[in-house]
Amino acid sequence: MYQLKRRFVNYLPNLFSDILKLICVVVFVFPFYWMIITSFKTYGEAIQVPPTLWPKNFTFIAYSNIYNMGINFWQYAQNSVIVTAGVIILQCLVMIPAAYSFAKRQFVGKGIAWAIVISALMIPGTCTYVPIYMVMAKAGLIPSLWPQIIPHGCNVFGIFMLRQAFKQVPDELLESARLDSATELQIVCRIMLPMAKAALITICLFSFIGTWNSYFWPLVMTNNDKYRPLTMYIERVQDADVGNKWNQVMAANVLLVGPVLVIYLFASQKIIQAFTYNGVK
Amino acid sequence: MSDLTLQRQAKRKLNGKFIRNQVFSWALVLPAILFLCLFTFYPMGNLVHLSLYRGNITNPYKTFRGIENYLDILVRRPQFMTTLKNTALYVCMYVPICLSLSVIFAVWLQKARKINNFAQTCFFAPHLVATISSAFMWSWIFSPESSGIANGIIKVFGFNTHNWLGSSSTAMVCVMIMNTWASIGHHALIFLSALKSIPGEVYEAAELDSSSAVKTFFKITLPLLSPQIFLMLITMTTNSFKIFESVRQMTGGGPGISTKTVCMFIYDNAFETNNTLGLAGASSIVLTIILMLITLLDFKGLEKKVHYQ
Amino acid sequence: MAEIRFEKVCKFFDKARIIEDLDLTIQDGKFTVLVGASGCGKTTLLRMIAGIGPATSGHIYMDGKEITDVAPSKRDIAMVFQNYAIYPTMTVRENIEFGLKNKKVPKAEREALIKEYAEIVGLTEYLDRKPGTLSGGQRQRIALARAMVKKPAVFLMDEPLSNLDAKLRVQMRTELIELHNRLKTTFVYVTHDQVEAMSMADVIVLMNKGQIMQEASPEDIYNDPNNVFTAQFIGTPPMNIVDMPDGNKMGFRPEKVKMSDVPVQGCYCHKGEILTREMLGSETLYKIDCGEYTFMVKTDKPDFAMGEKVFIHVANEHLYFFDAEGQRIRKTDGENQYAQLLQNAGGMSNV
Repeated sequence: MYQLKRRFVNYLPNLFSDILKLICVVVFVFPFYWMIITSFKTYGEAIQVPPTLWPKNFTFIAYSNIYNMGINFWQYAQNSVIVTAGVIILQCLVMIPAAYSFAKRQFVGKGIAWAIVISALMIPGTCTYVPIYMVMAKAGLIPSLWPQIIPHGCNVFGIFMLRQAFKQVPDELLESARLDSATELQIVCRIMLPMAKAALITICLFSFIGTWNSYFWPLVMTNNDKYRPLTMYIERVQDADVGNKWNQVMAANVLLVGPVLVIYLFASQKIIQAFTYNGVK
Repeated sequence: MSDLTLQRQAKRKLNGKFIRNQVFSWALVLPAILFLCLFTFYPMGNLVHLSLYRGNITNPYKTFRGIENYLDILVRRPQFMTTLKNTALYVCMYVPICLSLSVIFAVWLQKARKINNFAQTCFFAPHLVATISSAFMWSWIFSPESSGIANGIIKVFGFNTHNWLGSSSTAMVCVMIMNTWASIGHHALIFLSALKSIPGEVYEAAELDSSSAVKTFFKITLPLLSPQIFLMLITMTTNSFKIFESVRQMTGGGPGISTKTVCMFIYDNAFETNNTLGLAGASSIVLTIILMLITLLDFKGLEKKVHYQ
Repeated sequence: MAEIRFEKVCKFFDKARIIEDLDLTIQDGKFTVLVGASGCGKTTLLRMIAGIGPATSGHIYMDGKEITDVAPSKRDIAMVFQNYAIYPTMTVRENIEFGLKNKKVPKAEREALIKEYAEIVGLTEYLDRKPGTLSGGQRQRIALARAMVKKPAVFLMDEPLSNLDAKLRVQMRTELIELHNRLKTTFVYVTHDQVEAMSMADVIVLMNKGQIMQEASPEDIYNDPNNVFTAQFIGTPPMNIVDMPDGNKMGFRPEKVKMSDVPVQGCYCHKGEILTREMLGSETLYKIDCGEYTFMVKTDKPDFAMGEKVFIHVANEHLYFFDAEGQRIRKTDGENQYAQLLQNAGGMSNV
């Protein structure tokens, strides 16, 4: 009994701080809650004054409305998936060999090649999109998904991190593998990549999130709904109606945000771990 | 066989294998470099070229104008400078607030307790969500109608509904709130990792030295965090300077052009208006120079204050 | 009086019970050393005195007053950490005066104190340098000065010498002993090195798995161990232990063993063959294979060779007896029983 009282008394100074934390959590999570709740209301209830914290009539009408709008939701979703997968695959194909070569191979002009890679970091994407658009337009690629994939082919940040991870693999491992007549491909796949798993996962996670959530690049590079990704779906829902039907807009938003949040719910610790990977053991 | 022949044979072997190795190494690196040349360096040069002409997307080099485009945006027409001012105002609002809050949150959630882990996880979620989604969410929250939850809250305190995103006094602030909400978790996480590397004994020693929580924060924690804070300052400044999606969706640049940002100016001149591609090019170049200057100034000005161990 | 008393103290971390129901009194003014292997609970106990690792249950008293839940800064103690824990972003001077500043000590007094103690530890020229530019030994002195300047009633030290090189360690050891003699405050010192414990302590508290194995002066702990664990922990090489046929154990110290070419009557005697010989200068260590056991012998006679057959014998007064649980059986526990044990020991001789 005394112990319980003692533990409570020792906890007391933390109480105020913990309550404040919970309040902050509620405030932070509220926009998500508000978005989801609105998507399950009727339009009338959504714009009702004062706003209701829980729908009086829980309904799926917003979802069915946007589905029946004639805008092909699945086309958008498919585009998102293809573009994201395409970017990740392309980046891996380009970045892994480059990082390996920079990390473990000696060649003439290595310094120059590395300088080229680093200097690319200084050029912001805000400048390059106009000329790239013009090139894509001239090549006739605008009506397609390619302009959303190809320009992101070289992930400089990824090459950086991967090179650092590869450098931590002891050279002796490679030498003994070469003595065992391993091909370079086998070395990369069987030795380097497994040892750089954490770095690779982090890089791919960053790429995935960046590409799946990108709005600006597809905005520039597409002019036809057929090739637009999910991020551009929400405003279509908005346009096709007169006046903002917020419950429908939020429903569309839920469709975009939902998968990410669900994955995060299950893998939050792993994801946060990947984000805090700092490249040094 | 004579010595000379053996030597020549050896040299040839070395050359053949050596060259193959070199070529292979270069072959591994070439795709990356090719992509960079095509999609980073070439466009940059192209942009400079573009900025010297008057034209549009289909016909970019209609008329040669030299530095006229630059003079237009910097001196003659006020629009670019207005957007620059708007953007600078935004950055000066956003960076101090977001940075301070991130540091405070990180220190607040330092200890490895269940409630801290839970809070970190919740604060980080907005970062994983697309900016455009967050913009829509907060547009709905800041809706000018009485049904917007922001208005709903202030009505409880007896105020009238307010056109949050449509009035020049609050529009930018609302955008800032949205972006702070979205990025605090991520920045706090970075600071949290840095805080983990501080040995716990230093804090224990401070406790024994009768140091209050505030004193410990300013005299011990903050100096030890200064490298990360410094880096975050540069990153946040350059990134927030490029703000586009959230502003465009939430305010459209309005009312008028009071919230139009530099990137919006570039985009509009590239795609929306006629014959202004050159202006887009020129303003892109100016933006790049500004970003480089900011980075340089930050380094020079603040590096002395950073404590490296 | 700065006597520290632990009463029924427990420390649990989740499911792990580090310390359970421990009672201990640390005497005022003495240099007490808590010694034991890693994980025995000695650092835990030290941190409880400091208040930075509060006890799960139980009471801690200092000077008769209960300090179990008192904030660390309000206890009259100072602590030197294993990794020094000096503030890396402050100069040496700022490090030392940090605590004083927080306690609102006036500037003039602060300056005087810093000057005095910087001189004592020999850091006067380094006062305006940052710790990163100083060596390990100098950083240790900063930690020491920072602790001393508070003029506490109790000094706590958590393995302060373990990160120093051997030569510096020996030097600092004597300096700490001198410091204690000068200040005459209570010192509580934690180490895993029994040599350090033996050389510095007024009182040794030997701990194992959260329990106190023995609490005594270095002489007593060496010559009169309470149990097998103590007997084997203190002393290099450790005491030789032999199982007796009645379940008890017998032990003798390596330096009390005599070696000869012929068997000796009237004591424990065993024949054996020399396995290794380490000549250390003033003494020589022999490892002797006696069939069932291998004994370590420490003697000043270097003239035995490897492989040589010898007879080792130990006089009766140098034999120690322990029961099946490892607890010591002393002569004073029962003369008859003790005589019986001696007889059994003699009976185990093998020549």
